[in-house]
Amino acid sequence: MSELRRDPIIGRWNIVDTDQPAGPEAFEVDNHSPSGSKCPFCFGNEGMTPPEIYVVRPPGSAPNSSGWQLRVVANKFPALKIEGDLGRRGMGVFDLCNGVGAHEVIIETPDHQRQTADLSHEELMAVIKAFKVRSLDLRGDRRLKYTLIFKNVGLAAGASLEHTHSQLIALPIVPKRVQEELRGAERYFEFRDRCPYCDMLQQELDEGERLVCENRSFIAHCPFVSSFPFEIWILPKEHHSDFAQITQEAIGDFARMLKETLTRMRVALSDPAYNFIIHTAPIEFRERDEYHWHLELIPKLTKTAGFEWGTGFYINPTPPELAAKALREAALPV
Amino acid sequence: MPELRKDPLIGRWVIIATERAKRPVDFVTSHDEALPASDCPFCEGREAETPQEILAIRGGRSGSNGPGWTVRVVPSIKPVLRIEGQLNRRAKGMYDLMDGVGAHEIIIESPTHISNAADISIEQLHASLQASIARIADLERDPRFRYVLWFKNYGSVAGAGRVQHTRSQLIATPVTPLRVKEELVGARRYFEDKERCLVCDLLSQELEAKTRIVFESAHTVVLCPFASRFPFELWLVPKRHSCDFGKIRPEELKDLASAFKQVLMRLKGVLNDPPYNCLLHTAPFRHERGKAGHWKTIEDDYHWHIELIPRLTRVAGFEWGSGFYINPTPPEESATYLREAAVEAAPAATH
Repeated sequence: MSELRRDPIIGRWNIVDTDQPAGPEAFEVDNHSPSGSKCPFCFGNEGMTPPEIYVVRPPGSAPNSSGWQLRVVANKFPALKIEGDLGRRGMGVFDLCNGVGAHEVIIETPDHQRQTADLSHEELMAVIKAFKVRSLDLRGDRRLKYTLIFKNVGLAAGASLEHTHSQLIALPIVPKRVQEELRGAERYFEFRDRCPYCDMLQQELDEGERLVCENRSFIAHCPFVSSFPFEIWILPKEHHSDFAQITQEAIGDFARMLKETLTRMRVALSDPAYNFIIHTAPIEFRERDEYHWHLELIPKLTKTAGFEWGTGFYINPTPPELAAKALREAALPV
Repeated sequence: MPELRKDPLIGRWVIIATERAKRPVDFVTSHDEALPASDCPFCEGREAETPQEILAIRGGRSGSNGPGWTVRVVPSIKPVLRIEGQLNRRAKGMYDLMDGVGAHEIIIESPTHISNAADISIEQLHASLQASIARIADLERDPRFRYVLWFKNYGSVAGAGRVQHTRSQLIATPVTPLRVKEELVGARRYFEDKERCLVCDLLSQELEAKTRIVFESAHTVVLCPFASRFPFELWLVPKRHSCDFGKIRPEELKDLASAFKQVLMRLKGVLNDPPYNCLLHTAPFRHERGKAGHWKTIEDDYHWHIELIPRLTRVAGFEWGSGFYINPTPPEESATYLREAAVEAAPAATH
């Protein structure tokens, strides 16, 4: 069982792997990602992953065999494990608890060659639906407080396998970064009785210079305070704090928006490594007036160095106005 | 003029470089190949290739901006903030911003072309820390600045860029950065509760438990923190309680230089010369700003220290999204490897 340890000064929790600790030799650089018969996410290799938790496959085909369209499996090397109690305890000035939680992998397609931007509209809708179904299922577990859905693409963005996949981690605490966001939104709301993201949406639509694209239900824009060059946020136009309540109609529009945004980024930046993260409200059974779920997309173009670690203060070499213009003008494949 | 923009939600400031703006093509063609030593602007004899020196520790008859120095401080060739002008705080709709005023200086730690600070002498390290203290004290006199960060990037992965010549950097900012504020608030809260310094308590607990201690010297403890975010993350903590690095005593600074050298050599040995970042956490500038009692307990509640982070893992979506880190190496294991590393005994600082 891994441990969750809390920084006694700033209150940030970290996951420490006490099960299979990595020694110095574990950090030798390995740039090799398995493919073909070695890739655990390809057809025929279903036995290389833990059994499927959720799957889209034609009726009649056997579980954990080939023929599927999308598979969700437990991570083979999970950061957190689903069994056991939290066991919160103290140790002198320190606080810790057991590493309880869920860590799942969403294998978006059996095709090793395709990336998320290459998926058909229907396939991408199935991916988003899988995010929703898994989020809803995990909220039955009372130990869990937050579900984070994210994707790492490319070695620079922390992906160890190149076969396209996203991940879901459900945590027994609300992480610090999310708490900060929630608190900031609460403060803004207290003062104005409006959701800060709804205000942001309106200002960005009015000004237009940071807008990347827009459809019936979503906008994509480069935030005024981008920490990274070409950072993009996708915001739903309608106010909702909880991603998991997304409607079937909005899933379709979200799939279109995600595909267009990823394609524009790929064209403008020659296929960069990237991360995306869905920011949503903690697991709770209410709608928050002050919070608004959204997706943050960060191409990995710069390196985070001492100044950023020391201050939490980012240096962004590309004004978001310029980034948005380049993304708007990217020539999309017909 | 670069801009400082404030995140309306979490209050984090970001520096947006509006002048040397990078376009998509700059990222596509940018590569971090090392600049050959023969082109290094930080080597002795090439002083004309940097901006004019602000401070130098040099031998008797050498003239400024010429050879003959041991440590040299110059403004950054590519400063992220500009020293001229006023802050010009303003709003744009729901957003807050101000002009990117600040200072960005480079402390060149050796006249010869050495890339890793682990390979320079204790005397050189000591001199570069002395130069840093002098510069921080000078920047503190500028009422526009609230904080100065001293840091060091080694290796391309850690953001050191193409010039492979050991140096540290100073960036003075007109706002107290979020990460620093969090620490100050955490320390103050603990003090309010217990009337003791959290880091002093932590230090005595760690010295007793021993499992996370790498080594201790006369005035410094080197340890792997309990809630390490990264494998082999390290802290250098002064034994004597003090909130302000600038107030370090001469014998403590000598001891720190020698401990610093030793820990860098251990890291280099155990992890095969890894890239790293190193940063100083010290109290912000304490100008009175009409808020009486704002820094009332900081002398008692805050304890300066140095963080050293080897860059072995990559920060991915989970960490960005949650501020929650996954560390594959428990700090007890890291400390054991570093403690047991065979290092030549570091020579005494007084050689």
